[in-house]
Amino acid sequence: MVNGFRPRTLREALQILSANNCTVMAGGTDLMVQRARGFSIRPDFDRPLVFIEPLEELKHSVRENGTLHLGPCMTLSDLLRHPAVPDPLKEIIGMMASPPTRNMATLGGNICNASPAGDTLPWLYAMNAKLKLQSAEKERIVAIEDFITGPKKTILQSDELLTGILVPDTRFHLNRYRKLGQRKGMSLTKASFLGMAEISGNTVTDIRIALGSVAPRIVRAAEIERSMLGRYVGDINAAAAVITERYQPLITPIDDARSTAMYRKKVSLDLIRQFLETLSGSPGTGTKSE
Amino acid sequence: MQFRGQSVKENIGTSILRVDSRKKIRGEAEYIADWKFDGMLYAKTVRSSKAKAAIISITLPEIPEGYAVIDHRDVPGVNRMRTVVSDHPIFAEKDVQYIGQPILLVVGPDRETLYDLAAQIDIQYREEPALFTLEEAEAHSRVFTDYHYKKADPEKYFHKAERIIEDTFSTGYQEHVYLEPQGMAAEFKGDTLFVYGSMQCPFYVKHALIETLAMPEDNVRVVQTVTGGAFGGKEEFPSLNGCQVAVAAHKTRRPVVMIYDRAEDILCSTKRHPAKIRYKAALDKNDTVVALDIDVLLNAGAYNGLSPVVLQRAIFSATNVYNIEHLNVRGRNFMTNTVPSGAYRGFGAPQTIFGIEMLFHTIALKLGLDPLEYKMRHLLKQGDPTCTGGRVHETVKMPEIIQAAVERSGYYDKLRTNKKFQGIGIALFLHGCGFTGKGESQIRGKIVLQKCRDRVILKVSSVEMGQGAETVLRKIVANTLDLPIANVLCEKIDTGLIPDSGPTVASRTTMIVGGLLHDAALEMRARWDEGTQFEVSKIYEHPDYLSWDDETFRGDAYPVHSWGANVAEVEIDPVSYELTVKRITAVYDVGVPIDERALIGQMQGGIVQGVGWATVELMESEGGKLKQGNLTDYKIPTSMDVPDIACYFISNPYEFGPFGAKCAGELPFVGAPPAVAAAVSNAMGCAIRDLPITPEKLMETGHDH
Repeated sequence: MVNGFRPRTLREALQILSANNCTVMAGGTDLMVQRARGFSIRPDFDRPLVFIEPLEELKHSVRENGTLHLGPCMTLSDLLRHPAVPDPLKEIIGMMASPPTRNMATLGGNICNASPAGDTLPWLYAMNAKLKLQSAEKERIVAIEDFITGPKKTILQSDELLTGILVPDTRFHLNRYRKLGQRKGMSLTKASFLGMAEISGNTVTDIRIALGSVAPRIVRAAEIERSMLGRYVGDINAAAAVITERYQPLITPIDDARSTAMYRKKVSLDLIRQFLETLSGSPGTGTKSE
Repeated sequence: MQFRGQSVKENIGTSILRVDSRKKIRGEAEYIADWKFDGMLYAKTVRSSKAKAAIISITLPEIPEGYAVIDHRDVPGVNRMRTVVSDHPIFAEKDVQYIGQPILLVVGPDRETLYDLAAQIDIQYREEPALFTLEEAEAHSRVFTDYHYKKADPEKYFHKAERIIEDTFSTGYQEHVYLEPQGMAAEFKGDTLFVYGSMQCPFYVKHALIETLAMPEDNVRVVQTVTGGAFGGKEEFPSLNGCQVAVAAHKTRRPVVMIYDRAEDILCSTKRHPAKIRYKAALDKNDTVVALDIDVLLNAGAYNGLSPVVLQRAIFSATNVYNIEHLNVRGRNFMTNTVPSGAYRGFGAPQTIFGIEMLFHTIALKLGLDPLEYKMRHLLKQGDPTCTGGRVHETVKMPEIIQAAVERSGYYDKLRTNKKFQGIGIALFLHGCGFTGKGESQIRGKIVLQKCRDRVILKVSSVEMGQGAETVLRKIVANTLDLPIANVLCEKIDTGLIPDSGPTVASRTTMIVGGLLHDAALEMRARWDEGTQFEVSKIYEHPDYLSWDDETFRGDAYPVHSWGANVAEVEIDPVSYELTVKRITAVYDVGVPIDERALIGQMQGGIVQGVGWATVELMESEGGKLKQGNLTDYKIPTSMDVPDIACYFISNPYEFGPFGAKCAGELPFVGAPPAVAAAVSNAMGCAIRDLPITPEKLMETGHDH
């Protein structure tokens, strides 16, 4: 049997973590499944639990000086309702799990679980999100792509908590998100695609592409994106196949219970190509979010 | 023709509030997991981790006071589950044949301790070469059952054929996903054994207990608890876990309860048989199919159980609604080292009806003909011989049914105007009502109606399991006697209190058991003034216009059929190949609806389950292990996946059904999958030969095209 801690403040939570080797629970919608033993039997936890989901300090979102601060312990339902949360993230969250799960699951949990199928991750990668990691003694800020090191692996230390999610408040005229699941609701992601672009006149001024569930980590290729900046939209449309080809080696999916590597790879590449082929200078002609 | 029910109210179909809805919606219904017994012990099953192995040794940890281990040595009687083929051991003895096979139980007061003890039990195996797939089993001739029947002279017509077309179709596993997982409890009161649980067939469980416990019939009682869905999954399986808890209660002399969680349930409970069906069709100079050679292969899993009767329905449904003059039909159940397959809504028929619907569809396309017109050329009519040489005794309203389906769906307009990646398809189908062959005349279902002043108690063994049986049966009696539904009550499902009216299976409850109740109620009505308390009982007699030979499979496999047509409309995403079933237009002849809302509920549920099997419900076994072993990986449709469903009924009263009712429960399952497959074929311009139709498979076929 393990102990549980219910800290009332962030400070208290960090002190608990510095004194004990704990498992942090922020909603528990993944953890409780991962550690389940049988129904109505206590799950199989080997370390004391710290329940941080109720911590008010971690439940605020605010837009400030061009940065969106998202509270890691906001539930997915909180985020769906919050005025500061941008629509593209709401679109993604609206397709995650079911309302009861969204009422428990937190954004910080989705990040720290570090699943390649974590649905908020492509957006956070595409937006260049940074994470604030805090312990009783120190705090540091890291880019999300440096935070997650592999499937279910992060650099979070046992005395640290994810206490802030900082997202540059960049808006894109073009947003396209596709989540492929086994069915239309309550599905884990087989593959996901997020494409965002800003076009000024007929020139690409910003473009981001992120893919989930098709490699050990979220796929985003800054170099390929940079190569498209400043180019005419028509050129990108024409070169879509060639540009897509550059993503080929980055997409390394697996066969599993939910899909096949071949399918994941082909569909991801087709979604990239389709996005690039249909990029257009005038918003609302086929490349707006679906 | 005079049909039953003429003498009472004509509005039998008008819906009433379901008698079980209130307590279920309010959470007041008590499922077996809610039951508590004084001094009860819980049971946890220890299962094989090997697909095929000899058990070399079992080393137990120290068993604490109050805990016990139960294995095959504790079985007082026969260590086999009684069913059609009684081959499944209650507890494994020297060997195991599939992953998940029960070896022993640990029982005790604390469930967590049971999990700890179970984890410490060390079982040493010597693994043996195993067979996993139908292909491997066929190559090794690992056949459980091999059936064959023939009609007229197929050899001659294959010889004379203008053209021979061959094709093969396959379908996958399906898990029932009843809301309530399997659960059973047993206790002794004096010398009498009581077994309680979630089940469809209390007398199956009782007969299994008598053999396994070696107890006299009078000392065994089986009580059905509120059952949260079954779909065939609680037809034979509860005999197995029922015997296990009974053996444990016998040894410990304490009440023993065993409830599965979802993962355990999926691991070890029966599934729909994966199937492969090979066709060879002989066409004459008018392109009409004059002879068919059909080879049906079912994967029965590690034990045959009731698979032989599943196979019978599969092969007797293999020509569907078509009149094929010359037939050569073979059906085989194969043994593989996988979890046993078993009863599931449709009982083998969905597999073969998918096959023949797709066969006719693809032949028509190959010939450049309209699939529906081509199918209609071959339709059975009243008086035609069935595939087993019996007769279609009933009026066949297929032309009306098809016309309604075509008009209500706008079939031909949409067929013309659909864009690429949009598809529409139609399936025609039937379902044989009640047990196959001699089943009904062997069971000879018995019912009792008991008058108690102004109330009537009906005593049957047909159970309410979510399908509405209690409402429908009470309604039949109430309407016949002109009593309020509240004055007609069902006796508790306790084998000590009710006669054996047979199991709750084969879409037989309304037609067969309801028919007996209707007869009894008519008699009671005539004798109403005879006294304040008396009983009327009835025993089923097979109508004498029917004949059946179990050796040769000649005659009327079913007394009557329910019929239908489904039109499915689909859309496919051109990039991801994701499939959306947009709409199903369904027209059925189930005789006369007993309660329209309850019936529509059955139809919608059956359609959704069929659409699930045809689309999202992928379950594969790899090395004897299910790849999709939980509800995270194995998906059934959610409300977001459910198409618009429009149901219509064509009245066609059946002389021997209550108020003219025939069977209904399985019919909707049978029709939806081939309709969806035909629509996908239309959308993609390719043949569909394999269910489920996943985006992964469509991507490959889409490529070929």
